[in-house]
Amino acid sequence: MADIDTSGGGGGGKHSGGPRSKKMSTRVDLTPMVDLAFLLISFFMLTTTLNKPKAMELNMPKKVIDEKDKQDVGECQVLNVLLDTLDQVWYYEGLKVAGLQKTTFAGDEGIRKVIMKMIKKVPKECPQVRRWKDQNGDGQKQDNEFAMADRDAIVLIKMLKGARYKNMVDILDEMDITDCQIYAIQDADPIEVEAVLNGGVVKEFARE
Amino acid sequence: MPKVKPKRSNPVVDMTAMCDVSFLLLTFFILTAKFKPQAVVAVDVPTARATVTPENVIVITVNQEGKAFISLKEKVTRYAMLEQLDAKYGQNYPGITGLTQNQKEFFSLTDTWGTPIEDTKRVLSMNGTEFKEYQEKQMPGIPYDSLHNQIGDWVQAARYATEGNIKIGIKADKNASVEYVREIIKRLTEKDIHRFLLITTLATGGGAAEEEAKAEE
Repeated sequence: MADIDTSGGGGGGKHSGGPRSKKMSTRVDLTPMVDLAFLLISFFMLTTTLNKPKAMELNMPKKVIDEKDKQDVGECQVLNVLLDTLDQVWYYEGLKVAGLQKTTFAGDEGIRKVIMKMIKKVPKECPQVRRWKDQNGDGQKQDNEFAMADRDAIVLIKMLKGARYKNMVDILDEMDITDCQIYAIQDADPIEVEAVLNGGVVKEFARE
Repeated sequence: MPKVKPKRSNPVVDMTAMCDVSFLLLTFFILTAKFKPQAVVAVDVPTARATVTPENVIVITVNQEGKAFISLKEKVTRYAMLEQLDAKYGQNYPGITGLTQNQKEFFSLTDTWGTPIEDTKRVLSMNGTEFKEYQEKQMPGIPYDSLHNQIGDWVQAARYATEGNIKIGIKADKNASVEYVREIIKRLTEKDIHRFLLITTLATGGGAAEEEAKAEE
């Protein structure tokens, strides 16, 4: 197929008279060419598929206009997560700012573990949630998000001024990984900011 | 009688067909590959485990200094967006009314836009080299403070232009302060936009945070 016919078929009237030159093989070894082609193919395949940007969905709440849309949640359902400017994560449960603790984003041992624990703990130990369950059965009906806010852990994400955007994405990623359904992004209270800046020490506990 | 020698078969395989196929595939991949368009604004997006592929999206790029830029992929949509901005909000922005056809064309050829609306006319009358220099060095970004919610108006214009069939992506630098992003989200919430796509890249194996922690160790 790839051979070039060198027998001189179209040579006109020349007959085999003179000393015939030795036939050279014109077969070219195409193996390196194929190698190269496949190398390039793999390069293009990898670069085209891996370069696609991905996106994370973020739904922000509408402003609550109607007072009756607001609902009470139990203090014990709430986990406060604070992100500071040094990529550290601080957290405390409920209103106990004094119990502020520091952790990181590092894998299973960091904030993920804290959130997981909270999600497991809330349905068992939280009195509000237990009461809700007594009234509404075992929480099988998942009709709307408000019903869920009655019985699941709620994570309040609070970012200090100057925290990096990366940390916001990281914590939202953790929400996705731990399958935490209810979370909100808020501003940090002054007392929380102060507590974080003091390395977790709350000087005076004044919060209504 | 001489012995009949068995004819030795040549073990060489003809590679031509293989070569043909591989080059065909190569051509296919080269032609279909879309290279990253030359980014005017350099941002380093954060990694995450996100799975949604952003399509049909107006991207608000936020760089490290908090400057905001908008980009749209299709030229036609960009043109329509400019027309809609003029039609719906023209009375607030004298700078956008009465653009010439050439200026509008020029706008539709620019995929990343970061000029305050009042400056639009001046920028659109620049020539190619002037504009390139402007784009690289001094593009001021689109204002998004509470008094000048131009980002909101641009996004609204894009929604009109596509009849609401567009998603709003936020592509922020991972080292940008979170304040900028929250401010933009706040401005868009004022315009009754509540769903956003945060543009990220895939983490290569493991959790995003995990990897980050390892890198810092």
